[in-house]
Order: sequence, then structure tokens, then C-alpha cells
Amino acid sequence: MHHVVLDRWSRGRSLLHARDARVKIVALLALLIALATAPAGAHLALAGYLALLIGAVLLAGLPLLPVLWRAAFVLPFSATFAVVSWLSGDAPRAASLVEKSYVSALSVLLVIATTSLPQLMRGLEALRVPRLLVLVIQFVYRYLFVISEEAQHMALASRCRAPVRAGARNWKARFRAAAGALAVLFARSYRRAEGIESAMAARGFSGHFPSFAESRLRTGDFVFLAAALSVTLAVRLGAAL
Amino acid sequence: MHIPDGFLSTPVWASLDLAAVPAVGYFARKARSDIEESRIPLLGVMGAFVFAAQMINFPVGLGTSGHLLGGALLACLLGPASAAIVMTAILVIQALVFQDGGILALGANVLNMAVIGVLAGYLPYRLFGAGRRKKLALFAGGLLSVMASALAALAQLAVSGVPIRPSLAGVSLVLFFVSGVVEGVITVAVAQAVENLNPGWLARAEASWKPGVAFFGGLAIALASLGVLIASQAPDGIGKILEQVGIASHPAGLLAAPLAGYEVSWLPGGWLRKAMAGLAGLVAAGLACLALGRFLARRRSA
Repeated sequence: MHHVVLDRWSRGRSLLHARDARVKIVALLALLIALATAPAGAHLALAGYLALLIGAVLLAGLPLLPVLWRAAFVLPFSATFAVVSWLSGDAPRAASLVEKSYVSALSVLLVIATTSLPQLMRGLEALRVPRLLVLVIQFVYRYLFVISEEAQHMALASRCRAPVRAGARNWKARFRAAAGALAVLFARSYRRAEGIESAMAARGFSGHFPSFAESRLRTGDFVFLAAALSVTLAVRLGAAL
Repeated sequence: MHIPDGFLSTPVWASLDLAAVPAVGYFARKARSDIEESRIPLLGVMGAFVFAAQMINFPVGLGTSGHLLGGALLACLLGPASAAIVMTAILVIQALVFQDGGILALGANVLNMAVIGVLAGYLPYRLFGAGRRKKLALFAGGLLSVMASALAALAQLAVSGVPIRPSLAGVSLVLFFVSGVVEGVITVAVAQAVENLNPGWLARAEASWKPGVAFFGGLAIALASLGVLIASQAPDGIGKILEQVGIASHPAGLLAAPLAGYEVSWLPGGWLRKAMAGLAGLVAAGLACLALGRFLARRRSA
């Protein structure tokens, strides 16, 4: 499935994987801000960033084409609005919407593909994101696929018991069945949460995930941050000239 | 409607990010006091439930199907503060893992769906969800939640200068209304079925009529719809709006102070100067909001 790919990518070993999550987050934000504030006609700057990101993907040892393809998930939404802009005679904006959203998505993907989600969340917590939110994000991610699979099992089971008869006459019954299925899914999720709560309480969960990784920033992190920030600024300023 | 990066203009995403930070902080603190420490996994599992629930298709007639979005349902199940945190967590995961929505646009998406969507979904339930009109309240919650989030997103896009013509805005309004009705019907059906399983799961609605809540809720919804109306008439962005309400005719008095002309004179370069000045203004506004919030909180606890 989908998620397994990202998890596998983020477990690689490379210069980028080894960097601390905090510096990657700061560098990502700087790049995103540089992209967002670039004027609509700045194709050169965007091409520069794209080239840099492709270089970084290769440096991280990630497969280039799958990464580029995944970042293209953003394009259907962008393309819709690009067509709207183009039809109303604003061609530069149409191009800029597509370019900017794609390069931004690629840069986010590069960070999430070289950082595991727990590391990233620890970085966010260190950057003062509320701890409750960070915990909830981690729980959602952990149980997302568990509950989704449960939903798929339920859908499969219901198809086995009662083959779907499409048609205007019985859509009401199917609607009620779908609502009932969701209620059952809710009940199961609720009970699962109770089980998780008591299991975690039994293991001494105190509202905090302990971390065994070292949290000190190393020289390499500072070098990376300085390099990323200066390159980002240089490309942005260079293209503005 | 998840807005990706690159769509919103800098003043829009920056100010919405700055507005979202205290809002999420407030809801996190509120949710923390609402639930016990040991119940945190429940919030996460509920987020996973909403994710999974979006995969179950509901037939809505004419051969089409819709699915739950979940803001209103979560608000009625967990209470608004916890629901807002769960929706925020979902949006963060969608932005990071599924490339659905941007990072700089996260503030906009969080405000639209996790704050406005959840509060608009909870408002009718809070106002008249206790009595016989519970079904109606749940339906109105689903409808309002979708309409309010979609309108807010559309207004932000329009103010950012994405050209949205009145005809397009009309078509989207009809589409939003239809998906809002679908959300309302699904919310009622699922809430009813959940209550049949265990009556205690639905958060108890307040029995008393709260005029203050009604007033501010109504005001917020009115402002949101007004915003989209103005924005759809002014596709060229915020400048036209200012012109319409007559601010642009005397900008020196209203907009120039205290950061004259949005420029910092000792910095070289056009865009950098403007960006720095704008950023400074936003930080100042954010600090003012923070100070006001602290002040109000202290007065309430005193």
C-alpha cells in the first residue's frame, strides 16, 4: 500500500536521512516561503529549485521517478484552477499555480521521505507545536491503516452476505446499511481505543513517548542548515535580478 | 477542499497561519482540560476512524455516491475542542503523507476545516440538539460545516487573486450546497445508528439556550458569507475590496501607519523590504492577539 513506500524510503541511510528533523523542518519552511513569495513569472527560480530538489532526491538515494510521480498527486487540484485561470485570460497565473504547487509538494515529499514520522513529530514538538496535537497525529498515523483495513474487511463481508443490487428502488436500504456499518466501525474503534488506553496505562504511559535518539544538534546539522538557507536565498535573489 | 501551497498570496497564507497558531493552541489546551491524560489514544483512534469512514461510500441517488467528511459528526461525538484537534491532526497527516494540502497553506486549511468546519458543525447541536429537534440539529450541523469550510476556502482563493468569476462561484455554491446536504444526511444517519448502539456516546448537548453563542456563531457565519460575496465580485483581489469600501481613497491614514507604506527603509531591494515589513506587521498583530488572549484568560480566571 501507499504508506509502506514512504516508511521504506524514510528508513534509508544517507546524508539527508541523518540530519536532525528540526533543521529539515526549518529548511523546508524557508524553501516553501521562498517559493510562495516568488512572482508569477519567475520560471528560472522555480526551475532552479526543481533542479536542487532532484539533486537532493538523488543524494538521498531515493528512486527519482516514483518520487516525482508521487508529488504529482497535487496536480489534479492545481490543474483545475489553472484551467480556470487560463480561461479567464490569466495565463502567467495558470503556469505559476501548477509550477509552485508541484515544486512545493516535491519539497515536502523530500522531507517526509527522508525523515520518519516519529522523528518529524519530535522535531515539531521541539519547535513548540502543542504536545497533545503531536501525540494525536502519531496515534492517527499509527491506527490509520488498522482501522482502514477493518473498514475494508467490513465492506467485503457485507458484499459477501448481500450482493449489491444497484438501482433506484433500494438505495434507501443501502444508505441505511452504510450508516449502520459506520456506526459499527465507530463502536469497534471506540473499543479498540479503550483496549489501547488500558494497555498503555499498564505499560506506564504518562502522556509522553520516550525517545532514545540523541536530541543534540551536530555540526553536520548546522552545516546543512546554513547551506540550505543560503542556497535557497541565493536562487531566489539570483532569479529576481 | 484542501488548498495546496502556491495558491494563496503571501498576505493571505501568512495571516491565516498566524491566526491558526493561537486557535490550535487554545483548542489543545481546552481539549487537555476536557479529557484525561489516559484518553489521548481515543482521540487518535477517532482520527483514524474518520479517515477510514471516508472510504465507505453512501449511495445518494442518481447513481452517484458521497462520503462522510466528519467535522460535524466528530464535534457531536467528542466535543468541539477535541474534534478540532483531531481534524487538525488529520489535516497534518494529509498534507505530509498524502500530498493533500500544502504546508504554508496548512493554517488556511486548519482554520477552514478544523476550526470553522467543526464550530459551524457543532453550533446547531449546541443550540437545539438537546430537545426533539436533535435530528434537525445534526443535519444542520453537517450542512453548515461543509458550506462554511468551502465558502471560507473559496473566499481565501478569491482574495488571493485566483480568478473566480461570479458564474463559477454560483456553480460552486450549488455544488457545496449539495455536498453539504449529503454530509448532513450522513451525519444524522450515523449519529442515529451510533446512539442506537450506545446512547452515551453522543456528547450531551447543552440544555440551555445560549444567546451569546448564537450571536457570535451567527455573526461568524454572516461574515464568512459576506466575505465570499465581496470576494466573488472582486476577482482582482483585496485591492478592489478596499476600493469598494472606500479605504483605498485615503490609504495614508488607515493603512500606512505604523509601518509606513509597508517598507523598511534601511533594507535594500524591493521585495525583500516589503516582505520584511509585512512580516513585522503580521508578527505585531499576532503578538497583540496573544496579549489580548492572555489578558482575557486572566480576567476570566480571576
